[in-house]
Amino acid sequence: MELVLEYVMRGIADVFTASDGSLDWMPLIMVFAGLIVGIIVGATPGLNGPFAMALSLPVLIWVFGVSDDALLPILGFLIGLMKGATVGGAVPAILFNTPGTPDAYLTTLDGHPMALNGQGPKALKVSHFSSVCGDTFSDMALFLTAPVLAVLIESVLDLPEKAALIILSLSFMAAVAGSAPLKGLMIGVLGMLLALMGSTLSGNGPRMTFGIPELGNGLPLSSAILGVLIVGEVFIGIEDAARHRLAKLKPVQNKAYGDNRFRWADIKTIMPVICSSSLIGTVIGALPGIGTTLAATLGYDFAKRFSKKPERYGTGIPEGVAATEAANSSVSGANLIPVMSLGIPGNFAAVFIILAVESVGDFTLGPQVFRFTEIKEIEGYGTIINKDLVIAFAMFTLMVIANAFNWTVGGVLMRSLGVLARIPKSIMLPVVLLITLTAVYAQDGGFVAIWVVMVFGLIGYVLRRLDISILPFVIGFLLSPRLEELIRGGYSASGGDPLFLVKSPIALAFLVMAVLILFFANPARRKA
Amino acid sequence: MSVNASDNQKHAAPDPWDIGFGAVIFVASLAAIFVWFPNDMRGGFFFVNPIGKTEPGDAFFPTLLAATLALLSGLQLFLSLTRGSPPVSPGAQGHLTKDNIRFLILFTAICVGGLLIMYLLGPAAAWVMRSFGVIDVEYRYLTDTAPYKYLGYVTGGFLMTVSLIGWTEGRLRRVSIISVLTVIVVSIIIFDQLLTNVLLPPNADY
Repeated sequence: MELVLEYVMRGIADVFTASDGSLDWMPLIMVFAGLIVGIIVGATPGLNGPFAMALSLPVLIWVFGVSDDALLPILGFLIGLMKGATVGGAVPAILFNTPGTPDAYLTTLDGHPMALNGQGPKALKVSHFSSVCGDTFSDMALFLTAPVLAVLIESVLDLPEKAALIILSLSFMAAVAGSAPLKGLMIGVLGMLLALMGSTLSGNGPRMTFGIPELGNGLPLSSAILGVLIVGEVFIGIEDAARHRLAKLKPVQNKAYGDNRFRWADIKTIMPVICSSSLIGTVIGALPGIGTTLAATLGYDFAKRFSKKPERYGTGIPEGVAATEAANSSVSGANLIPVMSLGIPGNFAAVFIILAVESVGDFTLGPQVFRFTEIKEIEGYGTIINKDLVIAFAMFTLMVIANAFNWTVGGVLMRSLGVLARIPKSIMLPVVLLITLTAVYAQDGGFVAIWVVMVFGLIGYVLRRLDISILPFVIGFLLSPRLEELIRGGYSASGGDPLFLVKSPIALAFLVMAVLILFFANPARRKA
Repeated sequence: MSVNASDNQKHAAPDPWDIGFGAVIFVASLAAIFVWFPNDMRGGFFFVNPIGKTEPGDAFFPTLLAATLALLSGLQLFLSLTRGSPPVSPGAQGHLTKDNIRFLILFTAICVGGLLIMYLLGPAAAWVMRSFGVIDVEYRYLTDTAPYKYLGYVTGGFLMTVSLIGWTEGRLRRVSIISVLTVIVVSIIIFDQLLTNVLLPPNADY
């Protein structure tokens, strides 16, 4: 226990200390800046947290570099942004009945009627309070479960088991993240295949490049992910906007009158709903691939089902806003549980946390981080310590700081951003496209990156239109190099046994579970 | 009764999009194994390391993935053909409509047009100026010289973005033009002025 505390204290100190031992406020400032940007982004229709994380990552890398010292300021900004965007997303939903994200749709059910009844400011206060409560709860769950899970995994799993675990995760994501699990898995494998372009482990020169020298280093990772995630969404948004001529939508009446104070009595009323929704959101968030929409839906349904007056839900009551906001916000912290303990991202925000970690310094997320190596001072050599573990606790500290900022200034800022919700998507989306193209060009230094973004954007568009989740594609693309290392390493370690994956009982169990998940998630079977 | 039977038949009928999706990926994965990989990889499926031990080569994992993809797409194809498509409800299956294709063609044309202007305008302007003797160097020596370094980005980026907004809104408003110009100026300030060692498109390509 003493050792754990020592690592926790070193992690906290790491946030405030530069490598030369001087006081360093930069991580703190970056958390604050990230939170502000996140709230602004969340409050702007057409923008979302992962998009802003994707665009800010290259800028942060230029500003701070890729040394170990750069990691905490960059992670601080991204964490602040992730949390801010979750809070800010409720603004357009409540004030203008325009959910920026699918999960925010449920916030409109009670939030917008409250705004129409003159209680817009109160609805925003309820939303902020519930959102930050849910977020804080899920962070606590992350701090407690990720290390335990990681230690357990690291002690039990070897190369074949880790490889099988990645396959199981991919199957799970394919099964839950779209309407067609088999197609989702196919897309995940396709993403894995594309990620192998260029890179080789044996030094025999680039592979699968079609003779294009620019692909010798592989497809630019961030360009490909930005393309499929962000530009694909921009394609869809522009098409929908063009079809419905969104710019001509009439403004919604939204004036505040009556009592808009948020009292203790209100907190007492919504607290049970916040607790149940936070728990639901945290459990959902801990499972890779299940998004905030399901958490918000289940949180709202649960609150309504166990309410004494379920008929009031949907008419504009604080409990309705609290149920959805606490549920969807509590997903964000819990989503980092599979990242921290398994190294497997469960959602898009986690993808960008992993990208940041892989681009900056020599820290790698995964179960190996949580090795509580005994700290020893050796004269003339230095300190023997698991530096990754210190960084992990520093990351937790950044999350706590972000929550503290969110509790104090987040609500004030959020309530002042109603004007952003008036920015039409018809202008925002093409501008987003231009900024994305500029950023990837500047990051990768060539037009190839722009073409990669456009081609992957096209892939993202087609997958969305075919109703196939893009999450398995992105996760497959990201995890493929690691899976190749594990498979090749496992094969070699087994002495060339082609059945090495199924000879380990745990790996076999994971693979059987992967097949069963896909089988039971089959829509035809579900219908039957 | 007859309506129900007809609905069931419609629901059970193979979905051409399902079949097409499976077939395209099945053929592509086989082509990858038998045509693409053998011609585009120096390392084989296995290699013998310096101590004489056989190790998986560079083609090992890609081939496994492509084979898995062939297997899954074959299964998808088989299920689509034999059982019909398995949508949750008729019409729930996603597909591309003619409108989607039309949108993609127009969208791609606008984007590619804007990007080509972005890529070519600076060098073209430099070539013209050089032809008239105004300057005596090629574009590659002007990639950090205003106004040449901004010409392609500003013109191509402006035309592409304003065209997309105009198309989306069905009209061109002054606020759209001002918004795009503001974003371009801010991008130039960030990417060209504030950040060092970073170039605006297309200057790093020359």
